[in-house]
Amino acid sequence: MILGSHRASADLCSLVPGTHLCALDHDVAVLDRVAATFVGQGLAAGDQLLYVASEEQADGLLGTLSQHLDARQALASGQLLTSSFGDAYGTSPPEDLGTVADGFRLAARQAQKRGFPRLRVAARMDQLAGLLGSSDAVVAWERMSTGLQREIQVSSVCLYDTDRLEVGVGAALARAHDGLAPDVDVAPIGSFLAVDEPWGVQVRGEVDVSNRHLLHRLVLSRAAVLPRVRLDLDGVTFADAGTIARLRSIAAALPDGGHLVLERAPAVVRRVLELTGLGHPKLVVES
Amino acid sequence: MSVAATHTSMVYDGDRAYAREAGGFLRDGLAQGHRALVMAPPSRMELIARALGVDADAVDFVDEAVAYEPQWNAYRVVLDHLAAAPGVRTVVVAEQQLARRAPAELVDYRRLESAANLVFAGRAVDLLCPYDARALPAGLLDIALRSHADLRAGGSVAPNADFRDPLDELADLAGVVPPPTDATTLDCSSHADVSLVRRALRARGERGGLDPQVVADLELAASEVLTNALVHGSPPVLVRLYEEADMWVCHVQDGGGLPVDPLAGVVPPDDPSDHGYGLWLARQLVAAVDVGSDTTGTHVRLHVRSPAPV
Repeated sequence: MILGSHRASADLCSLVPGTHLCALDHDVAVLDRVAATFVGQGLAAGDQLLYVASEEQADGLLGTLSQHLDARQALASGQLLTSSFGDAYGTSPPEDLGTVADGFRLAARQAQKRGFPRLRVAARMDQLAGLLGSSDAVVAWERMSTGLQREIQVSSVCLYDTDRLEVGVGAALARAHDGLAPDVDVAPIGSFLAVDEPWGVQVRGEVDVSNRHLLHRLVLSRAAVLPRVRLDLDGVTFADAGTIARLRSIAAALPDGGHLVLERAPAVVRRVLELTGLGHPKLVVES
Repeated sequence: MSVAATHTSMVYDGDRAYAREAGGFLRDGLAQGHRALVMAPPSRMELIARALGVDADAVDFVDEAVAYEPQWNAYRVVLDHLAAAPGVRTVVVAEQQLARRAPAELVDYRRLESAANLVFAGRAVDLLCPYDARALPAGLLDIALRSHADLRAGGSVAPNADFRDPLDELADLAGVVPPPTDATTLDCSSHADVSLVRRALRARGERGGLDPQVVADLELAASEVLTNALVHGSPPVLVRLYEEADMWVCHVQDGGGLPVDPLAGVVPPDDPSDHGYGLWLARQLVAAVDVGSDTTGTHVRLHVRSPAPV
């Protein structure tokens, strides 16, 4: 990797929305790993993920992801999208970079309309120089992207095979990003996957002060689309009082006819509910 | 009729004295149209039932094994009883067998008795706390004397000259106990570390043969206290795990912040809220909770009983 970044983030789960990361390596296995880490942690955090890559690369990513989370479920609910480079960026040089930017703006809005807090993008960028015509144009595009992504709150990792870059371009590309993406996958303690049928969220693992805000924003995003939300808590191994209190607040603020169902609540969730008395008519606990 | 609560102790030396005083207290209350609650060991409940005869039907009895498990649950039992009939005064007899309590639990009970004067001050309740002179070491009778404004004896109530200001008493009981130097120490300065502390507690509990439910409750209590330290305290946040006087201690220290209200978390938040459950929840989950602060920061010690030797 090329050093020289100033804001590498090791914690992708709590990534500030709109962070523009890159990975530069001559070893595509490293790039595969960075992509899987970025996509896996983004999905676990409840965001929608778009992976721009070849079919073969997308299949490889699914295989890696399945070790940590239900990747098929993420595909089925549309939380994980894959796209070829051509479909995402176009196949002929754009007359105006603004057109490509508008495409990303639209995708970011679509993510929220479909009940996701944010969109994150992981993209294999090796065809960008060919599309834009020069390395300079690629660097210019990336610089513009940093501002655009902050504006539309879309985080991304741009994956570059350094063997396919002109000498010296790597450093300029690194500087055009907010930082380097990590390639070591530390499994998040909890995962929050969107479910379409029934509408809701599948919660797994532990929820505490480190990640409850992620569950909170995903449930809010789901409730904004359809205020009848079911949380499947079967795989929950821990949840603190703050988590339950926030779920109760969401339930209490739902419009008439809305509800938040806690399905298959484990003992620890029942214990917190019983001791805190944090019930609400719109917070329905089902066994 | 006065609104102010009363908190009276009664030292008895035999079943007859107990039945006479506690029975008389309850009968007087019922005669005035008050509701009645008894939290006590089964043998005491029996004495009261016999003393009251048919009037006992009007009394709500809660076994000490429920009411005082853990000890701070007793507040909740009383508060729930009051909430069930707003505006009606309640007379309460509250007693547990202190002889079976561990030292850390007795310190907490002392706090519970002192804080009761403040927590229930504005509520329509008369609390009578009987103390068994036959079963108690002299030191424990101090609790009866220091934390009750009135004493009941021979059917009448008199002001207690030994009563101490509850805030002074609570301050004296809020001293910091430094962790032993050989304690297992975990740095918990980032939010992500809370999960690691739970894992360490789980591993230690398994090794030590603790009941998994006790460990699960300790994990929850520790998470709540750590969250408070991370959100309201200041770094560094350190966790020490050690054993002390037959108890397992999970000791959470942070760099300090605002002074800790001596009544923080002794009762639940008034309205459902997104926060404020931490210390209160901890007191509902473990055997005893010490809270203290000094120049080294804020210290919260969570105690659970060590498994009995096999």
